[in-house]
Amino acid sequence: MLKEYWRFKGSLIPGLFVSFALLTLAVLLFLTLFGATDANTTIFGALNQRVIGLLKFTLFQATLSTLFSALLGTLLAWSLAHQPRFFSRSLLIALFSSSLVLPTIIVVFGLITILGRNGWLNHLSNYLFHHSFEGFLYGLSGILIAHTYLNASFAARGLLHSFESIPKERYKLAKSLGFSTFKRFVIIEFPAIKSTLFSISSTIFLLCFTSFAIVLILGGNPSYNTLEVAIYEAVKLDFNISFALELAFVQLSISVILVIFSSSLKTSVSNIKMQESVIPWRDAFGVRVLQKITIFISGLFFILPLVAIFHDGITADFTHIIKSVVFIKSFSTSIIIASISSVITVFFTLFLANSKRNFALYYRIPKSGIGKLLAFLISFSGTLYLAIPSLVLGLGFFLLSQRFFAPANFWATFALLSANILMSLPFSLSVLYPSMLKTAKRYDKLCFSLGISGYERWKYCEWPYLKESIGYVLALSFCLSLGDLGVISLFGNQDFSTLPWYLYGLMGSYRNSDASGVALILLVLVLSIFIFVPKLFKGDGFAKN
Amino acid sequence: MLKILLSLGLLMGSLFAKETLTIYTYDSFAASWGPAPLIKKAFEKKYDCKLKFVATDSAIGAFRKVQLEGKNTKADIVLGLDTNTAELARKSGLFAKHHTDTSKLSLPIKWNDDTFVPFDYSYFAFVYDSNKLKNAPTSFDELANMPKNFKIIIEDPRSSTPGLGLLLWVKATYGNKAGAYWKKLAPHILTITKGWSEAYNLFLKGEADMVLSYTTSPAYHIIEEKKYNYKTANFKAGHYAQIEIAGMLKSSKHKDLANKFLNFMLSDEFANIIPTTNWSYPVVKTKKGLPKAFSLLYVPSKMILMNGKTVEKNRKAYINEWLKALAR
Repeated sequence: MLKEYWRFKGSLIPGLFVSFALLTLAVLLFLTLFGATDANTTIFGALNQRVIGLLKFTLFQATLSTLFSALLGTLLAWSLAHQPRFFSRSLLIALFSSSLVLPTIIVVFGLITILGRNGWLNHLSNYLFHHSFEGFLYGLSGILIAHTYLNASFAARGLLHSFESIPKERYKLAKSLGFSTFKRFVIIEFPAIKSTLFSISSTIFLLCFTSFAIVLILGGNPSYNTLEVAIYEAVKLDFNISFALELAFVQLSISVILVIFSSSLKTSVSNIKMQESVIPWRDAFGVRVLQKITIFISGLFFILPLVAIFHDGITADFTHIIKSVVFIKSFSTSIIIASISSVITVFFTLFLANSKRNFALYYRIPKSGIGKLLAFLISFSGTLYLAIPSLVLGLGFFLLSQRFFAPANFWATFALLSANILMSLPFSLSVLYPSMLKTAKRYDKLCFSLGISGYERWKYCEWPYLKESIGYVLALSFCLSLGDLGVISLFGNQDFSTLPWYLYGLMGSYRNSDASGVALILLVLVLSIFIFVPKLFKGDGFAKN
Repeated sequence: MLKILLSLGLLMGSLFAKETLTIYTYDSFAASWGPAPLIKKAFEKKYDCKLKFVATDSAIGAFRKVQLEGKNTKADIVLGLDTNTAELARKSGLFAKHHTDTSKLSLPIKWNDDTFVPFDYSYFAFVYDSNKLKNAPTSFDELANMPKNFKIIIEDPRSSTPGLGLLLWVKATYGNKAGAYWKKLAPHILTITKGWSEAYNLFLKGEADMVLSYTTSPAYHIIEEKKYNYKTANFKAGHYAQIEIAGMLKSSKHKDLANKFLNFMLSDEFANIIPTTNWSYPVVKTKKGLPKAFSLLYVPSKMILMNGKTVEKNRKAYINEWLKALAR
């Protein structure tokens, strides 16, 4: 068996190394936190009635949110795949990704401008029908709408790629067999998108499970909180770190279950997107109308809140904002941190995915218990941090910084960089891993028989098919890394601030006009990254298909 | 001989390198538009030293940071806790007694805390837009009896000091019946936010009729935006006060300077900076007096303030009662 492992050492070692480094960091953080508690911690002591209540609701909420996001995401991706010439389609796709990576607070306020009690929808309906929907955005419905808003577009973006990767011959065959649109979906399309759909769904589930700002601002009731709120209370108000840790463990165990579940799913079809190509199937008129309406309505749903951010921010005094020293500092800190962490994220993801695919391809490494375990560890190390509350993460880093002395800003930078990378990894893995699995399935035989490996293989067999996803992952992690609020809060000082942190400070002192201006700057930044970075990777590159 | 040389060296060193006083506080106090830059300038000039503000997300956050850093903390002073959270800090045993003459304070209550010194105060109040709302409620009962579609936004007592303030305000007003009151009020609560900033921004977006803020909030709109339509709903039975405090740490290596700062908080210079940067009342009367706009603000006829020890002892129970009353 060792022989097989040795054969793939080049792809196994870097990934396993990264994976173990991540796990070690997590263990180190938790040990440090444990050191700060009274030691008589029992994991299930945390499960009092209130926590169980929160847990039940959170599971319910996260399941529904995931379901809606997956449904809408699939419907939208399907429509877009069959409408390749829809007006400003590529702009739409870029816009879809931006909502997930903007600081949640900005997006939620954009959503409120449209759907809120005093929102555009209510104004329109009041004007047309003298009817107001009042505050339907607050409560469970609000949580679900916001979560669907944030995640469905992300799902659609990922799924669209899977749809477009389906070999055109299959469509031709299905057409000659006279499949209906529905049958085509069930037999050809669904199996092709299944693995991406499940991996994206489990990421979405964890995101909704740990959601904090949204459930508080739109939930409207303490019964609609998540465990994160209880953790916040334990850390901040009661300073009961052991209780916070217990809650964090409950959250972690759920993520373990999810990772086990999603990694046990088989990825069956090997498709990779070959080139910009049109699906050779012209749907019936009714279906085409349905697709167009879907794109149009979800386009409105996804884009109007961004328009609202634009509308609210455009009247701000930008010369005044840009002149502020703190703004310039925060802006440059954010850009520098985001550049570094997005590049590292891409490399880590490539290593992890490259390593993980060995265990999914049984002709490479035969199925075995150890293989399963290693594959699980890799997946787990990549998604683990979605389940660790950023508050606990920040606290862990802070205690580490107390224990090991280093120059003042070293720990702040290290904590922020690590947090950003850890936060982006689950997303980038869910985008890159399926593609890398597919390139392996497609080219392994050829490469092994011709003895192509290392850089050569990368250049001719991987890069041409991965570059587009890599560009997307780079943009995604760059924007995700522009700033996180949870981790920086203990490290923040005048010399170290990020853009979202600055924005939140403005909001906290009546300066809502400046805050809207900064939100608009962030939006423009994120959008331009999303539009231009993937373009850089789209060109012909090294190899022509 | 060596000792003399050393102490001489130290003396010389301190002559050249100015002593630095470090204060941990909440972000909006330390912000470039907050009180910190002006206070820094005035204090450094007066005492020929350096003053450094370190911002965290909240006053409790600042205090927790000190707790986590333990003996190695660089903080000399923690600034920004209020009387509701003072006991929680006092219990830690990290704070030293102050040497400030608090007799010249002009607070609505008599101050006899030997550890913490107040530096500003305000009253919690519901803020509304008088262009949209004509008859604002004048009591908690009236508030609960407003029409069905009358909505307010409040903050969560677990994560926000105004939220905790309202919880205690209701508790002080209704005692055993506080839970029942929250049940009655529940249909009017549009949402409960993590902090003041989300709540206030939602209100400014027109999402709700009133938001829990401060009696001094309208001053911001008058002075900075020339808007006179933001008013407070004035409750006849009185308003709960928030008195913000600062305390010196036992571990401080600059106790002398720290004491000077606590004294400085009661100076005219400090008091003149507070109203238009922290949008609250200073704790002493100054020659210059308050800005004109402050005369347009409502001053509650009665101040409500729960004893800090009572708050600390019952906080958990009060919060549980609140959670239970609002549970769906």
